[in-house]
This record gives sequence, C-alpha cells and structure tokens, in this order.
Amino acid sequence: MSTTTTRAAAPGPDLSTRTLTTTPGGRRRHHQGSVQHPRDTAVKRTLYAIAGIGSALVFGVPLIWSILRAFQSEAVITSAPDPATFFRLGWENFAAVFGSSSHLLTGLLNSVIVSVCTAVLTAVLATMAGYGFARFRFRGSGLVFGLVLLTMMVPFQAILTPLYLEMNAMGLTNSLLGLVLFYTTVNLPFGVFVMRNAFESIPPDLEDSAFVDGASRFRVVVSVLRPLLLPGAATAALYAFLASWTEFLGALTFLTKDSLYTLPVALLNLQTGAYGQVSYGNLVAGSVVAMIPCIALYVGLQRFYVAGLSSGALKG
Amino acid sequence: MSTISARRSSVGRRPIGRGRAPSRNSLTHPPRTGALLVTPAIAFVAVFVLAPLLFALYISFTNWPLIGPYRFIGLQNYATLFQDPTFVHAIGYTLLYTAIVTVPILVLGYFLAVLVRARRRGSTVLRTVFFLPYVVGLTTLSFMLVLEAQPTSGAVNMVLRWLHVTDGTTAWLVNGPLATVLICVLVVWAVSGLTMVLLMSAMQGVPDEVYESAQLEGASWWQTERMITFPMIRPTVALSVIISVIGSLLAFNQFYILTQGGPGTETTTIVNAIYNRGFVNLQLGAATAESIALVVVIAAVTLFQFWALREKD
Repeated sequence: MSTTTTRAAAPGPDLSTRTLTTTPGGRRRHHQGSVQHPRDTAVKRTLYAIAGIGSALVFGVPLIWSILRAFQSEAVITSAPDPATFFRLGWENFAAVFGSSSHLLTGLLNSVIVSVCTAVLTAVLATMAGYGFARFRFRGSGLVFGLVLLTMMVPFQAILTPLYLEMNAMGLTNSLLGLVLFYTTVNLPFGVFVMRNAFESIPPDLEDSAFVDGASRFRVVVSVLRPLLLPGAATAALYAFLASWTEFLGALTFLTKDSLYTLPVALLNLQTGAYGQVSYGNLVAGSVVAMIPCIALYVGLQRFYVAGLSSGALKG
Repeated sequence: MSTISARRSSVGRRPIGRGRAPSRNSLTHPPRTGALLVTPAIAFVAVFVLAPLLFALYISFTNWPLIGPYRFIGLQNYATLFQDPTFVHAIGYTLLYTAIVTVPILVLGYFLAVLVRARRRGSTVLRTVFFLPYVVGLTTLSFMLVLEAQPTSGAVNMVLRWLHVTDGTTAWLVNGPLATVLICVLVVWAVSGLTMVLLMSAMQGVPDEVYESAQLEGASWWQTERMITFPMIRPTVALSVIISVIGSLLAFNQFYILTQGGPGTETTTIVNAIYNRGFVNLQLGAATAESIALVVVIAAVTLFQFWALREKD
C-alpha cells in the first residue's frame, strides 16, 4: 500500500509535480510546461553564459568575501584591503567566538535552543491541528481554520507593544520559553496549513483499514501515516527553525538579560560596543556562524524549502 | 492582502474525491477528538495574536506607561499621531525606501527568472546561488555589511575606487542619504532571489503550446515576453510586488543594525519609530496607536496594489 501512496507524500496535495520541478538546484522530474529552448542559437548561448556567470559573481562573491573576512586577523580587517595580506587566514576569530567567556557563544547556544524547540513544537502542534482540520468535522471548524489563516496576515511587528505587556504579565519576557512560545505562534498558521494539506492528500482508506486492524489513533498517525506526513512536518519545522534563527525585533524587545540573548541580539551588542571594544573579526565570524545553518539547511532540504515557498509560505 | 488569501485558499482547496472529512457522527473520527486536536494551536493563536490585537485597541485609547497607572485619554493618541514629527518623518522615509526598492527588486528578480527558468547547463546551480542571500537573511547580511561599509577598510569603497567612481574614504553609515543608498542596494541584492523563484515557477507554468504558436506566427523574443509571458504571469507578479512592498513597509532589522535609525532620526523606519516610542520613550499608548496606523496603512496599500495590478479581462 505504501508504494502506491508515497507519491502523495509531498507536502500539500496541490503542490503538483510541476511546482516541484522548479526546485532551484533540485532534482527535476517530468516537466510539462517548461520553457525549454532546445535550439538555442550560438548568440543566445553566449549571452546566457555571460549573464549567468556575471550574475553568479554578483550574488556569490560578496558571500565568499565575507567568509574569507572571518578568517582574517583584526589588523587585516581594519586596514585597507591589500592583496598581500588578504589571504593570510587563521581561525583566531572563531576561537574567540567559541571561547569560554564569549557572549557570542552564549547567544549561539540560546539561538540553537530557541530555534530547535520552536521547530519541534511548531511541527507537533501543526500536525495535531492539521489532523483535526483535515479529518474531523466539528462545529465551527471552517470558521476556526479561517481565523488561523487570517492571523498569518497580521504582522507581529504591529502588535509588539500589547504583546510585550501581555507576555510581561505572564512572566514570559526575559525567558527563552517565552520566545519559543512567541515564535511558535508566528509560525503556526503556515504549519497548520501545510499539515492540513498533508493529511488531506492521504486516502482515508489507509487510516480506516488501520483502525479496522485495531490500531490506536496515536499508533495510526505515528506508525502508519508517518512516512506520508514527514515531508509536510519537515517543511513546517524548517520554516519555523529558519524564522526563529534570524529573528531580531522580537528577541530585541522581549529579552533584556545578557545571558538570554539570541545570536542576532548578541551580534548587535558586539557591534554597538556594549561588550567593550568592538571586534570586527568576532562580528564577521559570528555572522558566518549564523549563516551556516541557513545555507546547510537550504542546500540539504531544498525540496521542502521550495515546497513551502510555493504553498504561499511568505508574508512580508 | 486579498490576493494572498485568494491564492492561499486556492492552494488549500480540498482535492475532489479525496480526504473528505467524515460526517459529524463518525465513529472513527468523533467531533470531540477533532476539536481537542486543534485546541492547542488555537490557544496559541488566541493568546499571542488575537488577544494582543484586541488589547492593542484598548491600549491605544490610554496613556499607558511601561510602569505605573494609566488612564483613558480617548482618541488623543490618534489625534496627535501626525503631530509627532518623528513619526511623520518615519512614514515619509519608509514610503521613500519602499518606492526606491520595489521596482529594482521586481526588475532584477524578473531578469534572474528569465535567466534560469529554462533547463540549460548550469541553471540549477545559478538558481541556488541567486537565492542564497535571501536564505541567509537580511539580519546576518547587515552585520556583514557593517565591516564593508567602513571608510578605509571596507569593500564598498574599495570596489568604488576600483570602478573609478570615487577615490575617497566615504563613511557610508553616518550620512543619511548615503546609508539609504547602501541599504537599498543591500536589500535589492538580498531579496530579489525570492521574486526570482516566484516568477520562475509561474513562467514554467505557461503551456508550451502557447509559445509554439507564437513561434509559428514569427513573434520576436521581446514580443513573446511582452505579449505572452508577462500577461500570463501577471497574478504572480502582483503577488511578488505585494510581498516585497509589505516587507519594505515593515523594514526594521537592516536599518537598526546598520544605522540605528541615525544620524538623528534620518533613517528611522516606521517600525523603528514605534519601537523607540514604546520601548525607549516608554509611551506604550502612543506607540500602540502608531502600530494600529501601520496596520491600516499596510491594509490600504495592499488593497490599492491589488486594485492596480488586478487581472485585466
């Protein structure tokens, strides 16, 4: 049975194969509406090569440049770029970032905790709600689902002050738990949407036959439906992780304790000199560390990333 | 905003004949279990979005300080909204910033999409590279730009010297207009990858037959692009413009990191002004009234764009 249904495992039933073929850099499948140019002229091929290489340099070189910067000594970083010293690279900035008394290390650990917890919590809650909305009919379910989607349209930047007061009253400011709960809420509507689609793409018979065999509901979802739900849950978790990893305004507002700062806030304090002498070496090394999970997750999980993008993941 | 919701609902449409929700008296799917399953998610949304939203309206009619008692002051926060020069300047500045970056993001994104939409050698690598800055995110990129914007040691001046644009040691971040230019370039570079992906998917959805018949008619590349591709992907163009405009109206991170809104309040965006008012000046009532004004502005801009970019019959 699983062989016939694996194809439905893509997050969301309406993410047709056509959408998935557009994965940037991903594997390509059967393509129906491609804009193929099988008979490119030599001129066209040359233009494509020039434009492609030129653009790739414009988009790639600044990132590579910054990565190289992270390996330079403070003296090199703070003096005019000189080819003679530019490639004298070492690990000292990273040693400082990961040093025992480093504020950035604390920030990094806090960011990891917050992002991982947010990703897991979002995936779990979204799976439950997605199951509820897709498979159950209860009073007001349509209305409630619409309400959840509607909150996707509310920019959290616009409710920052009341949210702060409310979280303060609940003892959730200056708390990593508070930040996790807040980030989870921001990411939930999209997750619920993706998981509802994931459940709806599974034939009900699959679930029913497992019930007939006497499996409990938990067992049905965890053992029988899991392979079909994982892509959707991965998409929800991936987006929640990445969104919390670089979130700045909320962390800046809800945290005022040094020991609780996430990486972006710690980097800000380093840059503005709140930690004493500004070290550009540490700043760029910290930024590169912040960049790594984003690039690694994107390149590694590109399929889920683009699946999310094409299901309308994005707001502002 | 309505295009986004229209699009979302069409994506979320129930597939016909599959996954139909069982009836209310289903034995395997009792309604109560369904309600229980969605309760935690609803609770989160209610506590952290809906409650603050209602609370916002309430606060905006008070002189709420961060600490101490408050009292009702009616519509005073709204009446004085536009008498505050900082906030008015922030609105003007944010609109200016939005006006500057929107078209370049669309044009660059469109160009990149044209470049990588077809299956050619290297196109998959190019897609990944063009999208990388967006994935890394403006927050991290802004921290990296701090270094490169330094007068003597930064790469920005180095590149400009190399291009013979200037030979000076421009201090980019302490001059309002220069900082604005720099941030606009950063943003266009960083987010056009998103526009590319959205437009590319839409372009690949245009059926081949349309292009074949255009070719038979002897249409040039430009004619095909203008008369066929663009009209057919118009809804996606509208969507990507709306996404980028909302993003620009809510801009905060790159400005706060690179200039802290300065010099003075020259590069202070709306969100930054609200943040300062609420959490630096501790006037939460006024800050909340400004937030509500922001929500209204965003809704209005979205509706206007939806109207301006609507599909023509």
